[in-house]
Amino acid sequence: MDPQQPEPVSYLCGDCGAENTLKPGDVIQCRECGYRILYKKRTRRIVQYEAR
Amino acid sequence: MSADQYSALRELFRPHVESFDYFLDKGLDEMIQSIRPMVIRDPNSNNTLKIILEKGHVLSPMRDARSGVLPLYPQECRQARITYHGEFKVDVCFQYNEGAQIRHTFNFGHLPIMLMSKLCHLRGADPHKLVFHGEEATEMGGYFICGGMERLVRILILQKRNYPMGLVRSSFLKRGAGYTDKAVVIRCVQRDQSSVSMKLYYLQNGSARLGFWLGGREFLLPVGIVLKALIDASDREIFTSLTCCFSDKHGKGKGVVSTQLIGERAQIVLDEVRNLSLLTRTQCLVHIGQYFRSVMEGFEKDDYETVAEAVLKDYIFVHLENNHDKFNLLIFMLQKLYALVDQTASPDNADALQYQEALLPGHLITIFLKDRLQDWLRKSKRLIIEEVAKNKGFDLGNALEIRKFVTKYTSSVSRAIESMIKVGKVNAQSGLDLPQRDGMTIQAERLNFHRYISHFRSVHRGSAFAKMRTTSVRKLLPESWGFLCPVHTPDGEPCGLLNHMTSTCRISSFYNSEGVVKNFGEMKKLLSAELVRVGMNPVLPKIERTGPPEVLHVHLDGRILGTIASATIEKAVNYLRTLKLLAHSGIPEDLEVGYVPLSFSGAFPGLYLFTNPARFVRPVRNLFILSDGKQSIELIGPFEQAFMEIRCPDGGDGGRQEQFPATHEEIHPTAILSVVANLTPWSDHNQSPRNMYQCQMAKQTMGFCGQALKFRTDVKAFHLQTPQTPIVRTGTYNKYNMDEFPSGTNAIVAVLSYTGYDMEDAMILNKSAVDRGMFRGHIYQTECIDLSTKSRDNVPETFAKSVLSRDTSSAIDSDGLPRLGQTVHPNEQYYSVHNSLTGVIRPVRLKGTEPAFIDYVAVNGAGSKHGLQKANIRLRRVRNPIIGDKFSSRHGQKGVCSQLWPDIDMPFSANTGMRPDLIINPHAFPSRMTIAMLLESMAAKAGSLHGKFIDATPFANSVKQDKDPRKPNSIVDELGPMLASYGFNYHGKEVLYSGVFGTEMDCEIFIGPVYYQRLRHMVSDKFQVRTTGRIDQITRQPIGGRKHGGGIRFGEMERDALLAHGSSYLLHDRLHSCSDYHIADVCSLCGSLLTATMIESNNQKKAKHEMLGLPTVRPPKNFACQACKTSKGMETVAMPYVFRYLAAELAAMNIKLELRLSNKSGLLPSQES
Repeated sequence: MDPQQPEPVSYLCGDCGAENTLKPGDVIQCRECGYRILYKKRTRRIVQYEAR
Repeated sequence: MSADQYSALRELFRPHVESFDYFLDKGLDEMIQSIRPMVIRDPNSNNTLKIILEKGHVLSPMRDARSGVLPLYPQECRQARITYHGEFKVDVCFQYNEGAQIRHTFNFGHLPIMLMSKLCHLRGADPHKLVFHGEEATEMGGYFICGGMERLVRILILQKRNYPMGLVRSSFLKRGAGYTDKAVVIRCVQRDQSSVSMKLYYLQNGSARLGFWLGGREFLLPVGIVLKALIDASDREIFTSLTCCFSDKHGKGKGVVSTQLIGERAQIVLDEVRNLSLLTRTQCLVHIGQYFRSVMEGFEKDDYETVAEAVLKDYIFVHLENNHDKFNLLIFMLQKLYALVDQTASPDNADALQYQEALLPGHLITIFLKDRLQDWLRKSKRLIIEEVAKNKGFDLGNALEIRKFVTKYTSSVSRAIESMIKVGKVNAQSGLDLPQRDGMTIQAERLNFHRYISHFRSVHRGSAFAKMRTTSVRKLLPESWGFLCPVHTPDGEPCGLLNHMTSTCRISSFYNSEGVVKNFGEMKKLLSAELVRVGMNPVLPKIERTGPPEVLHVHLDGRILGTIASATIEKAVNYLRTLKLLAHSGIPEDLEVGYVPLSFSGAFPGLYLFTNPARFVRPVRNLFILSDGKQSIELIGPFEQAFMEIRCPDGGDGGRQEQFPATHEEIHPTAILSVVANLTPWSDHNQSPRNMYQCQMAKQTMGFCGQALKFRTDVKAFHLQTPQTPIVRTGTYNKYNMDEFPSGTNAIVAVLSYTGYDMEDAMILNKSAVDRGMFRGHIYQTECIDLSTKSRDNVPETFAKSVLSRDTSSAIDSDGLPRLGQTVHPNEQYYSVHNSLTGVIRPVRLKGTEPAFIDYVAVNGAGSKHGLQKANIRLRRVRNPIIGDKFSSRHGQKGVCSQLWPDIDMPFSANTGMRPDLIINPHAFPSRMTIAMLLESMAAKAGSLHGKFIDATPFANSVKQDKDPRKPNSIVDELGPMLASYGFNYHGKEVLYSGVFGTEMDCEIFIGPVYYQRLRHMVSDKFQVRTTGRIDQITRQPIGGRKHGGGIRFGEMERDALLAHGSSYLLHDRLHSCSDYHIADVCSLCGSLLTATMIESNNQKKAKHEMLGLPTVRPPKNFACQACKTSKGMETVAMPYVFRYLAAELAAMNIKLELRLSNKSGLLPSQES
């Protein structure tokens, strides 16, 4: 992967629930239904190392 | 899950929703038709153009989508911070030169739509659908969403419409010379809900003036002129109709309202008119027309009579259409005024609910929209007239051109409505006869469910009264019994002004119980027919009438229907009440039969019937009608209630005498309490201020604010992680589905003085209980970042992450927004903004002192051209109970956590081994007398042993059906056996062992579960501590304010305390060393502290000092006095920096401040030199 290109981020559509992967500069709109509010998905990274 | 599961809850919000429904159904059209057509005349060609507003259309909220238009749901509006509004169009007719009317539909922008109103997409939705659309299953509506904010219209108190009220006010004296403090005031309301208040002032000479407001000033007309202008009546007729209420034979008997003075006064009233040489109706009309033509808009070209007719129509008794009715009412008002002056009738109390009604959201919007539409017409007319004056060839018949001018201001109409709801300000030229101009709307906070409901049930007296120094408006009056809750009012500033409707109180509306719009015309006809049947003489012009005590006037919504003999009136009233109860009589069930009986100079007698909306009504049981046995619930209003005999099961006979038996009965004594006050268990066993405190605290509880929390974007939301349902609860708790939004925990409370950490309302929490999840909570904070509006200098900014940053540990994702689920620590970057002009990426750091979790991130693409510009970031902050957090029981017993005590050191019960979750001090009870809390502890213990909920409805004893003398009468004797049956102490006490020593305690300890609430006041939001930090730039003193890390002021009284203790070192430390300590260079020769200037010093000396390890004393000779041109007299003096600042400020005013230095204390400087 090109190190200069930021990785795309995936979002869920607020209306139909479809997953959208957007790159910076993309129009914020669902590709399926055209809805304009998108929710970010939970990060896949480890958030907490220790469980106490 | 059924839709009517929450019907009781919806009932609470009905006044809001129904009034807006009516606005959509009929009110809008009625209002638009009542707007007078605008006539524009071309002065060049004498052509006219008439603009007539015909009909309004409001559409459901819609949004544009790829596949056409789709419904817009409230949830989307909250997320996208937009307004939940529907398109608003008006049909406008243009008539050119009396030709054919040409209809155009104009788009007036968008009108905010109330949730759950007829145009809301969620209307009638079942809980499944509501949840599907991201709402609460219980969603009740009643509010608007404006710019993502939830706002509701505050219900305000207004004067009762169409009822002439006798008032005594010293402010009436200021109307001019000859005026007295007495007047009869009436607020006339038209069908479109707009109102005109009129005052009939009494003059010292016996005459009266009719006053009303027009165009920002009060016009006062002699009453005789108005009487004559209304109808063609001879002086003789006016005289007899005024004086007919007096007759010699009664003397000063019961119910006599008139004295023989009325004849002389009538003479004066008529003389006044004759002195102006106005003899006929036409002359009076011309007189009025001359007076008003300049102020009446749109009548500049009309003759005087037309103007006068318009004045009479628009400003005199606007609730009546017929001039005869107006005449009769004016005569009645005069008679009432003279009765008030002669003290044969008592003045009415304007602060009593009896003479008040409510301002509802739909009505407010109707009134305001009417004003805005009229304003739009005026503006359009001005535009066209300007164009006509400028452009000679302009033709009024040119529809295309006219259209262009007319559409210019259309959007301002709906924008005004939206901003009114958003800000709460009514921006109208005239006051619209409203009691206040701002504060019309409030935000519907969803802090917890109690607070949320209370917003919709609150009734405010008006902001003008808040500034008033007298307390008479705040008093609790018996008139509000059953309508406004005596318990649920805040203590402090708004006490008594902000009241809450009782749980059973409703507000009459335009809809009947079947949801059909009432037909008031039909109702009026039917009522008068029924009244004639029971003996009313319908009022006919030119018939001599008499007055009380022989006959009483019958008023229906401010119109005099006729008279009825006082002997038969009781029968008539009872008959009307029967009709009210019959479903198909056509008489509205909420008809108010205000029968004011004859009395010795009491309220002015009469039969006042009201069918209008916006009245408070409440159900009571009618004891007389038992024919079919089932329908005996009657709706009564505050006006009639004052003269009714209503029995309350808990009230004994209330001083009622034998000859006045009760005709009605309260359904339940708890009907006098609001929803929140009703939730206090056994509130009849508490001292009443404690119940008030509980109403306050219930609204500050950190509870379960909503089940749709996941979808919510509140700026701040409190959330209790592990709420419980109370074991001890009132009937109201189930009725209003409070289990959907629980707000506390059943904590095992021991009333015990243990460790000393429970002194002074402190409480000890069991650390292990907290660790297991008791009272754990979160604060959700939503930040709405909109870069499209925030950007300075029109430089577009977007969210972006720096490409250069290879830091993978940061919380910022590659889109510049935080990663979901990530912890962000204080001062850590969590999103970054890219400036497209400079290319600089500006990271934003987390404020505050607590770490936060990124709970959700939503991006919004609507309305932005430059990509990622709008985002909602919700942060979650963990708030577990710590020392200093506030808790309270449901009985106004609040306390602060003083220790999280280890479980092993807690006392434990001898028979169960249980350790309490919470320890409070026994001193909390004797002075506060919250017996219900002790009962709750016992009841909850019994309930948890038996595995059932305990009903703690107050006044339950007085409505008990079986009054079995063998059964226990007290609650303790009901609960004691329940405890004893499981081997517990009868009174709820237990033997406890000390957790530290393991020894048995001398006393048995009262222990049991009590429902405790966690209040939202937490130390984490409040602590303020500082050693050093930011200082003020001018005074060099520490700044104030927690937000900026400032200090707490050590003020004059604190100073006095330290002085009194002799702790002067501490005083010096606080006020000087830790504040603006300053060493100033003062010239002892001239005494100035501003003239010191630095001279080049040799740094060698200083360096030597440092090398030798000597303290770096400032070399004294480094400064020289600018005035004395020498450094001889320079001395250093320690002083507060503000003192130096004072010297500089004084110097600026040409005042020299001189210091005389000396080493000897106590010696006067003059003696020294």
